[in-house]
Amino acid sequence: MNEQQGLLIGEHFLMGDYAAAEGAIMAGCRFFAGYPITPATEIAERMSIRLPQVNGIYIQMEDELASMNAALGASWSGVKSMTATSGPGFSLMMENLGLGIMTETPCVLVNVQRGGPSTGLPTLVSQQDMMQARWGSHGDYEIIALSPTSPQELFDLTIRAFNLSEKFRTPVLVMTDAEVGHMTERVAIPPPGEVEIINRPQVRKGDMPPDKYRIYQDLHPDCGFDTVSPMAAAGEGYRFHITGLTHDEHGYPVMNAEANEWNVNRLMSKIRDHRDEIIQLEEHNLDDAEVVVVSYGISARTSLWPIEQARNDGIRVGYLRLITIWPFPEKRIADLARRIRAFVVPEINMGQIIREVERCAAGQAPVFGVNRPGGEILNPEKVEKTIRQAAGQM
Amino acid sequence: MPREDTINGERLKLSGYEPTDQSDWVTGLHPMDEMLRGERLPHIWCQGCGLGTALTTFISALQWLEKNQKWDLDKVAIVSGIGCTGRVAGYIRLDSFHTTHGRAIPFATGLKLAKPELNVVVFSGDGDIAGIGGNHFIHAARRNIDINVICVNNFNYGMTGGQVGPTTPHGARAVTTQYGNFEYPFNLPYLAAAGGASFMARWTVLHARRLEWTLRQAMAHRGFSFVEIIAPCSTSYARWNPEGQGLDPQKLRRRGLEVMKHYQKVGKIAHHTHPKDATITVDGNGLITEIIEGVFIDDPKPDFQAAIEQMAHSAKEKWIAAKKTLDERLQLPGRTDYVPRTEVQLGGFGGQGIMSAGNIIGQAATIYDKLRASLTQSYGPEARGGAAGSQVVIASDPIHHPHLIEPTSMIIMSQEAYAKYVVNLSAGGILFIDDGLVRLPRNHRQDIETFGISATQIAEDLGNSRAANTVMLGFWTAIGGVVSKPAMIQSLTDSVPPKTIEVNLKSFEAGYRKGLRIKGRQ
Ligand code: SF4
Repeated sequence: MNEQQGLLIGEHFLMGDYAAAEGAIMAGCRFFAGYPITPATEIAERMSIRLPQVNGIYIQMEDELASMNAALGASWSGVKSMTATSGPGFSLMMENLGLGIMTETPCVLVNVQRGGPSTGLPTLVSQQDMMQARWGSHGDYEIIALSPTSPQELFDLTIRAFNLSEKFRTPVLVMTDAEVGHMTERVAIPPPGEVEIINRPQVRKGDMPPDKYRIYQDLHPDCGFDTVSPMAAAGEGYRFHITGLTHDEHGYPVMNAEANEWNVNRLMSKIRDHRDEIIQLEEHNLDDAEVVVVSYGISARTSLWPIEQARNDGIRVGYLRLITIWPFPEKRIADLARRIRAFVVPEINMGQIIREVERCAAGQAPVFGVNRPGGEILNPEKVEKTIRQAAGQM
Repeated sequence: MPREDTINGERLKLSGYEPTDQSDWVTGLHPMDEMLRGERLPHIWCQGCGLGTALTTFISALQWLEKNQKWDLDKVAIVSGIGCTGRVAGYIRLDSFHTTHGRAIPFATGLKLAKPELNVVVFSGDGDIAGIGGNHFIHAARRNIDINVICVNNFNYGMTGGQVGPTTPHGARAVTTQYGNFEYPFNLPYLAAAGGASFMARWTVLHARRLEWTLRQAMAHRGFSFVEIIAPCSTSYARWNPEGQGLDPQKLRRRGLEVMKHYQKVGKIAHHTHPKDATITVDGNGLITEIIEGVFIDDPKPDFQAAIEQMAHSAKEKWIAAKKTLDERLQLPGRTDYVPRTEVQLGGFGGQGIMSAGNIIGQAATIYDKLRASLTQSYGPEARGGAAGSQVVIASDPIHHPHLIEPTSMIIMSQEAYAKYVVNLSAGGILFIDDGLVRLPRNHRQDIETFGISATQIAEDLGNSRAANTVMLGFWTAIGGVVSKPAMIQSLTDSVPPKTIEVNLKSFEAGYRKGLRIKGRQ
């Protein structure tokens, strides 16, 4: 049986978590390490059944610290890898998310958000980890995070997460939630030839003299890669070194300020310099908008109804959905702020992404939040009411 | 504390680094140059530290394996955690991974599982492996994953200045136990044995040759192997404890030597000692009085690579069968009429198939009737066996709000679900109940239509009471008419276990006929 025969294609009525697993497999993921946690467990369950069918490896580790590490280790063997979790596990993964960022290791982490803090609300939705996604691991870095609104998009964005992760040699987060993860809807899976798959730049045995190889060189003249240097997998004869310490282009530790500057800048600029490529937005009716609803994930989706209601009543509401949450579309928000009346930011937390919108609006337009902590998706009436308020109708 | 390394920052000029004409790799000054990262030397370790010996012994073992067992050292990867020992990965010319504190073992686990041809060695310290990484250590031993863990035990946290650790002997001094350690240490080989490791040994660095033999054995061992290396920490541990006390701190080498002499005195080689008895004994002042050394267990047991291959085989067979069913799915033309947003609530208790009934409806609506549907499920922690609810929204238009706002249709199979959900049914909505399980109260709502069927009884009469949900679905399809019958039949056939297709179809049909009769009467 060849691997393509093991891919699920066609239309299926699939739970979001399962769609994430199928997206990963389509993207070429062949290693999953995880730890059971509601509401992400179904991703692991699906992977445990599906990976052995496509010559992949599934393993349940002893905790999320180990899961994240095993995913990183597998990635350095040259295999695309993934893990999935929710709140408490996400906190544990922060330590080695940092290792993945520092060592420039591709891998994908899906967070099916539930209510927090702490053990919180295991079975119920929230979007309370959005800032943790950005800042949760210590130190300065940039991160890529995507946010789907449906099982179909959980499938699509998991593939995109792998592509970005491979291209930029960095862990990528899929920030979904209990609602989308546990929702079942139609998912259309195209045949493999129609899906864009990106693989990491890689040197293989014999491609170049090992002593001339630099694991963190920027532009590699011999290899022709322009964003990151090609990765060597373990066992290919390059005898490379990687470390979580501040390092130079060899991956060797260097303990000084200059090295830290070089190292941190490198990690940040590879994402900042490609913002336009990474950021995806869905926009409707922004041209004439006086009020713009900025949202993401399930909250963006449930805002569509109140937006329609408000538009029917003659309020010029626009819709801006953040498909990419991090990096944040600073410029787009700043441009809009100059010409609209107000922003409305619905989210299932007490105000996280609203801070970004406020920062980018920089006082040019007021920002209204629609917030609640975890447990339930947003009430459409509340969103509609806030839109009216933002439009000055209340 | 080890000397921090700033020289290298100058030598390897950052970002502008130009390789010299000569290979950077081999300097030719030391017999092990080929295996050392010469450009990284001198190392950061203190004089008199045992780590150098541990490293060179390890390299000797590798070179022996290369020479005598044709090992390809390109296929050996070394993973370290944090600490003085953790720096080993940075000095040895192998694919080397210096990970986070305590996490070398899970990192190595991923590396090995994803590329079984690699020989993966974890080389780290006692604090890293038995302290912060203790959980990973016992679980790797339990899995019997085919990696080799080498733990250099110097009885304290050296890099941070000599704090007490999980292996510090009872009564011994550290910077944080100036009055003597009041805790008790791990016996690491015993811990590994309890976890299920199939090879474990202990040597002091004094016994370098024996250690090298053991390392060869351990690396060649199939399954989880563990070697504890007792080594002097000349700067920290030896400063506070009798073995090296009183010596001039300027003479670190001397301190290390004194500790080695002490090892010679107290080391006792006793192969095959039960790991429980393979102890490190101390007197009342924390002075080590005996170290049992040797290979305690060398008991090859198959790691799980073979099991993984076997599992993959059955998994693929299962996939081929599943794929056949998928490929044989009927293609229905789909509905062309407009279906307004319809919200269906299903409720009952766990085990009645409420979740799967919701799934059958949603699948019928989307895949076969080509409508849109969102299915959400609700079960609290009590729901494993307790109350179960499942909600389906069906529509021709995109479903922005996936939750029920005005449920128009309810399938209710328990009294509890009746009490919980029926209040929410919108006026004019239709309620379907299993009237064998739900008794309508006297104040039952008059603003809704109610249809009852003895679903569980009917299913039981047909030979499988578990098909009661299917009876309800047939009944609902006939009267409710949101999803077409052919779509429901196909979805049902896809969803139930092959052996029960027949009884489920019969049950569906029974419910459907009863529904039609009632509808005809209206
Ligand atoms: S273990 Fe002790 S002697 Fe060795 S480098 Fe560390 S602090 Fe120095």
